[in-house]
Amino acid sequence: MIEPRVHPSGERVLEVENVEVAVAGKTILRDVNFHVVRGEFLCLLGPNGSGKSTLLKCFLGFVQPVRGTIRIFGDTPERARRRLGYLPQLKEFDRSFPATSVELVVASLRGEWPIRIANDERDKALAALKKVKAEKLADKPLRGLSGGETQRVFLARALVTDPDLLLLDEPAAGVDAAGREDLYGLLHEIAHCDHLAAVMVTHSVAAMDRTAEKIAFIDGTVRAFGLPQELFSDANLLARLGGHGPDGIAPK
Amino acid sequence: MMSWWTDYEFMRNALMAGALVGLLCAVLGVFVVQRNMAFFGEGLAHAAFGGVALGLLIDLASRSPALAWVKPIWVAFPFCIVVAWGIGWVRNRGFATEGTAVGVFFSVSVALGILFIHVKDGPVGDLEGYLFGNILAVRRIDVYAALVLTVIVGGILAVTWKRMAYIAFDRDLAKLSGIPVERYDYLLLTMMACVIVLSVRTVGVLLVSSFLIIPAATARILGGSLFAMTIKATAVGVACSAFGLVLSFYVDVPSGATVILTLAAGFTLALATSAVRGTRVEI
Repeated sequence: MIEPRVHPSGERVLEVENVEVAVAGKTILRDVNFHVVRGEFLCLLGPNGSGKSTLLKCFLGFVQPVRGTIRIFGDTPERARRRLGYLPQLKEFDRSFPATSVELVVASLRGEWPIRIANDERDKALAALKKVKAEKLADKPLRGLSGGETQRVFLARALVTDPDLLLLDEPAAGVDAAGREDLYGLLHEIAHCDHLAAVMVTHSVAAMDRTAEKIAFIDGTVRAFGLPQELFSDANLLARLGGHGPDGIAPK
Repeated sequence: MMSWWTDYEFMRNALMAGALVGLLCAVLGVFVVQRNMAFFGEGLAHAAFGGVALGLLIDLASRSPALAWVKPIWVAFPFCIVVAWGIGWVRNRGFATEGTAVGVFFSVSVALGILFIHVKDGPVGDLEGYLFGNILAVRRIDVYAALVLTVIVGGILAVTWKRMAYIAFDRDLAKLSGIPVERYDYLLLTMMACVIVLSVRTVGVLLVSSFLIIPAATARILGGSLFAMTIKATAVGVACSAFGLVLSFYVDVPSGATVILTLAAGFTLALATSAVRGTRVEI
């Protein structure tokens, strides 16, 4: 588990206030309140259908809350998009698309698909790929990459624009064991970064253990929010196993 | 040897219009294939039938000398655009999946087409030509229309291709990069509707979606980047359209079917070559 630390700036990157979300007329999230400060790594945990991925889509501006506000650097998610990096699930994109890793990273840098890549753009893309230990994959077609390699390239794509907030939707789902371990190692490094905040939806205890500085249990609302050390203390685990919420850890 | 070119104006018209629609279908077909919109193409082709039938029903050409140029096919343009936007709107608003929306609009368009033809008094003209394609029906004005559409679509794609390509890769990532994805969707659908209607003259309603899909699918097998795929699809589309049309003239068989079979032969050849080389890709 990551040791709790004080983030020097304390700047609020993401603020969620009284958010209620409905999909097709059905309320799936209500009274969601929390914030993330610069440099913090928050894991969203919860059962299937609990609304955590939908909440992440709200942060991306793809789903609009019916009530409440979401602010990213004090702005709406739509206006703050250029400050976001996003790593989707492996299953969400077409891996047979005729593209190389470097083209994908440059597309993120430019905001459009490249026909030709200038030297300076290639250098920036290679630097981003190097950060995720994928520089050797630069000129490989996406269709030839393993699940773990693909997610590393997509992480480079998310990081190349130097975002302030990284949003990750179950990044290791569908990735083999070796690929998962590589990915967790990279996410662990990101969790120790002071300027980049991250919110990750995950089901994986291993991913949470390597990355989470804060945890939010989501199940229709925020059931618990706090430090992993508090939420996973023996007393709280016992209370949860007994069907009661963790004492003293109310949604903040 | 080239007597068909010098002696027959209809062949010159057919070849020029065929090559241009082959080019347009191939360029747009790359997005259709990459975005899994093959059924959308099929649906719009059938919507063109409804549009042509509406054109035959209202028969604007016979109502006033000033409207003599308004053949039924021209009525299909706005009809098909409205259907394309309708499908896009239903899909984007989440009322139905793309497949369901296409299925509904496709059937309604064909049903309306049948109804329009049924209630029309008198002869319905060359309906078979619209269904199966008829190069004899390609006139000089169709060539000019193809030229104008090529310039317009070419101009739009010169400006938007890179953003369209990013959307084809992933809509969400394109949105995050600030691209107004839905507006580009409607732009692509409008271009598809126009190109499909224009292609109806040459290959007919029933075969036109193959014109969109086969060149792009062949290019995808041949490999390379998305831009290289677009260039290869264009070469395949233009070459097979021209060859198929000339072949249909000499063998005296329907032009649309010959063009599509020529494209299919190219596709099979590319597939066999990639299988032999061990470079087969998912298409």
